[in-house]
Amino acid sequence: MTPALPLADELAAKPPEVLLVDDDEVNLLLTAVALRERGFHITESGGGEHALQLLADWAPDIIVLDAMMPGLDGFATCRRLRAMPGYENVPVLMLTGLDDDASITRAYQAGATDFFVKANQWSLLAGRLQYLLRASRTRMELERSQAKLARAQDLARMGSFDWRRVGAAGSGGSLMLSAQGLRVLGHGPGDPVSLRAILRLVQRGERRSVLRLLQGVAQHSSVLATDVPVSLPDGRQRIIHVEAEPEFNEHGHGVGYTGIVQDVTDRRVAEDRIRHLANFDSLTGLPNRRQLVWRMERAIEHARRLGHPCAFLMIDLDRFKIVNDTLGHAAGDELLMEVAQRLRACVRHSEQVMEGALEAVGSRAHRSLEAVGRLGGDEFIALLPEINDERDAQRVADRILEVMRDPVLVGGQECFVTASVGIAIFPRDGASVADLMRNSDVAMFSVKSQGKDASAIYSPLLVGRGREKLELESALHKAIERDELVLHYQPKVDVRSARMVGAEALMRWQRGGTLVPPGDFIPLAEESGLILPLSEWALREAARQARLWKNSFGFTDAIAVNLPSRVFERTQLVEQLHQNAMAFGIPHRMVQLEITETGLMKELQSVIPALLQLKDINVEVAIDDFGTGYSSLAYLTTLPIAELKIDRSFVRDLGVTPQSSGIVTAIIAVARSLNLRVIGEGVETLRQMEVLHRLGCSLMQGFLFSRPIPPDDLELWLKQTVLPRRAPWIGQADELDLGDPTPRMAGGRPY
Amino acid sequence: MPSPPALASVLDEASLQRLHELDPQGVNRVVERVLRAFETSLTRLLPQAAQAQADGDHEALRHVVHTLKSSSASVGALELSRCCSEIENRLRLAQTDDLAGRLKCLALEGGRVLAAVRALLPD
Repeated sequence: MTPALPLADELAAKPPEVLLVDDDEVNLLLTAVALRERGFHITESGGGEHALQLLADWAPDIIVLDAMMPGLDGFATCRRLRAMPGYENVPVLMLTGLDDDASITRAYQAGATDFFVKANQWSLLAGRLQYLLRASRTRMELERSQAKLARAQDLARMGSFDWRRVGAAGSGGSLMLSAQGLRVLGHGPGDPVSLRAILRLVQRGERRSVLRLLQGVAQHSSVLATDVPVSLPDGRQRIIHVEAEPEFNEHGHGVGYTGIVQDVTDRRVAEDRIRHLANFDSLTGLPNRRQLVWRMERAIEHARRLGHPCAFLMIDLDRFKIVNDTLGHAAGDELLMEVAQRLRACVRHSEQVMEGALEAVGSRAHRSLEAVGRLGGDEFIALLPEINDERDAQRVADRILEVMRDPVLVGGQECFVTASVGIAIFPRDGASVADLMRNSDVAMFSVKSQGKDASAIYSPLLVGRGREKLELESALHKAIERDELVLHYQPKVDVRSARMVGAEALMRWQRGGTLVPPGDFIPLAEESGLILPLSEWALREAARQARLWKNSFGFTDAIAVNLPSRVFERTQLVEQLHQNAMAFGIPHRMVQLEITETGLMKELQSVIPALLQLKDINVEVAIDDFGTGYSSLAYLTTLPIAELKIDRSFVRDLGVTPQSSGIVTAIIAVARSLNLRVIGEGVETLRQMEVLHRLGCSLMQGFLFSRPIPPDDLELWLKQTVLPRRAPWIGQADELDLGDPTPRMAGGRPY
Repeated sequence: MPSPPALASVLDEASLQRLHELDPQGVNRVVERVLRAFETSLTRLLPQAAQAQADGDHEALRHVVHTLKSSSASVGALELSRCCSEIENRLRLAQTDDLAGRLKCLALEGGRVLAAVRALLPD
């Protein structure tokens, strides 16, 4: 007989350890010799008791037991060793007599792996041992891989199941779940489960459709792959992915399914989150630009097909930047969230679009496109997917304006934010999303330029008439962010001492390569409300410059900033000046404010509180263009004003018309009696300077001394003109020895 | 190993040959060790069989013949093995009426085998 030993390599590597147990010395010896001859490593034992002692501290690869032995026989020995830890699966070969059927049965009952009829056919015995060893190794590998699989399944929250059609009618067939599968469904290992019980885990609303799906799949023996929302026995809501393939018998009949269940909740949640992030604004939760464009495209498509109009409402907040800049970004965000809530209530806002139903003819699913979304910043859009005519859109716009007028409580402070709404209607105002967005934008800007807090429907006229202006305004909008604004400074001088005693800051806009004159954009800024952020910027910039000059040449006077009266009405002004002074480490008085006489008198009542507060923090206020308005002298006596600036028109005519010197004389007299400083503006000639001085005003400002110039040039001017006393006006001034000292004149170094 | 013709009827030549093949070069003196083990076993078991018979202890007797059955077959004492097998079968089936004759055969054949084995072993 040829020994079938394909495992010669394995033997060579490490001879298998065999424990051979037989009470008969002859057999023991013979078997041992024969097996050693065949590459096994044999340990002999003469009986069961002795064998068990050996096993206590040594583990063979396989055990060969003689069944019939005095004392502890093979069966009892086998039973005992199976009970020992670590010996549950060691292969045990029982040696029995020929024709001894009873012993064979008993051997298996005792836990033997196999039996072998005693004979002197050693090769057969060796082959059997090899076979058992190999089976044992395979089994161990299988167990290891099963353990690995179980671990992997646990990590993947996955388990397997097996479903057979058999079973009593209505019982749902028989279902087997692996321990991991049971865990996925919130059951313990070994818990009894039935298909019916599992189906009860499916969330109520989904149960019917899941059942229908299962029935359909089973009927056609098709592949099953679906995600099912379930409520587990412990109350957890999970999403279970079920995937299964049908199994067929030899007749080709589907007999059941094998597959897996997997908890995919985390993945689904992440997917939903990604989808949400991609389509919704994270701050307000409203649809974002991308989602809006998508919805708008669908709405246009639908409107075109069904021949009805739809509307886009571009909504831009009017004073958002002020809130953001003065109260901080957190407050700005808070405001946007509140605004989003309000806007949402103005339309039939749909969070989700019934995408599948959109294509269906006659469906109203397109109404689920209706929404308010955020384009970015303080820009929102309302999409009305179906309107009868523009009056519908106008109604929604009115509602929006209405809800926006209520004050918003932000950071403990009431804010008043209004909106400007531009409306564009498909198909009249454009055929594409891009056109309609642009035109609703044009309409919105027309509202902005006409005073805001209103709505406008797009009209081609808007473009023709105001395009340039709109473009300018749109650009001015971004001028601050783009650092296009600069301040130029015109020095104020005291001609008696030929010193600079301060400077007036004048705003310039560097748009592209050109310098836009203030006359071209300040009125527009006033009109559009942009003057507010512009003024805030100017105040801050002036404070910064004061600090720089203080550092570079010991500047201690004030920089004057022109402010429109509406800025004085703002309660945040004082706070902002204070913040600027703190931020740049300068005394408050180093920034001075100028308000025109006309502006002051027009809004006198609302400006007075600010003037009083300003005086409290030592910020001086000058009245600009004095003499052109209609000042009530009675008021002038009570107002906390520090300086009067004689309007350039009077200065221009000095020495030309006698009236002008009369007026100037009167102004100087008023100032002196009220103990106010007085300064002449627009001084261009030595003659004007001379006359002014003679009339009692030594503080002046004008081209004669310097045009408004960039801050670095001003330093240069000081260094090269004033200090070396080189300018013609200085020589002239030196000769002048007229007039009284101007009251409360700012003293100072000759820089 | 030379085998006297007298032994031929007691110990089967082919069986002895198979033993010899386990250790062809005689390096491990396998045949000698096996025969010596058998001799020891036989010397111990034959009196045990007689004693069990005297005591009427069938279980002890059955164990003796079971052991002898396979070991005697291994060394070529086929007649003795057959005799043991018959006794074991009768005991298993509880056919004890005709046991005495068989036991006499066991004693007789056992003695002959023992003598033959001893003759083969070096002193």
